[in-house]
Amino acid sequence: MPTPAQQAQTRDLIAQRIPGEKSSLPAIVLVAGWLIPGAGHMILGKWVRGVLLFAAIITLYVVGLGLAGKIYNPSSGDILDILGSVAQLGSGLLYVLARVLGWGANPVLTTVADYGSKALLTAGLLNILAAVDAHSLANGRKAS
Amino acid sequence: MLSHFSAAVLFALCISVVFGITQRAEPKMMIRFGAFCFALFVGGLILASWLMFAVKH
Repeated sequence: MPTPAQQAQTRDLIAQRIPGEKSSLPAIVLVAGWLIPGAGHMILGKWVRGVLLFAAIITLYVVGLGLAGKIYNPSSGDILDILGSVAQLGSGLLYVLARVLGWGANPVLTTVADYGSKALLTAGLLNILAAVDAHSLANGRKAS
Repeated sequence: MLSHFSAAVLFALCISVVFGITQRAEPKMMIRFGAFCFALFVGGLILASWLMFAVKH
């Protein structure tokens, strides 16, 4: 007769997601994590990680805007602008808001503004990293 | 207004938090890796600052 602890362990093993299993959850957390920093982790119940990711990425984004960083425009034709906008698009809704509401400076006029641009780019790239991490958690590729 | 140093430390802190969470699976290892990244960033920052000072003088 299995003990209650063994029964709980068996239940956990059965409930564990199998890598490659068909489910829409990984796609949902990937998109949610991309649109709103940390949202993917929050959907998976990893609240502390979600809040920390949200705070870190938003702080970096706000610092970037505060230093008058540049919001890149992909339609300028310049390859660096296109690459920059791809990286900043990683911020999801923040990039859309920045484009719609005209946040950020364009072009970069001071040295400090160049640091701001790098902070905005980094925020986008880190958000992609966080969204992919949430996706890996959802599909079982990452253990916990 | 942030100084260059405080902006760089804040930048390092934010990146270290994300690296710690995304690159390790266990909470204890996340904290350790985040702290390691932060120490490397800030250590590299101070080292680069002194190198630039030495080059200029």
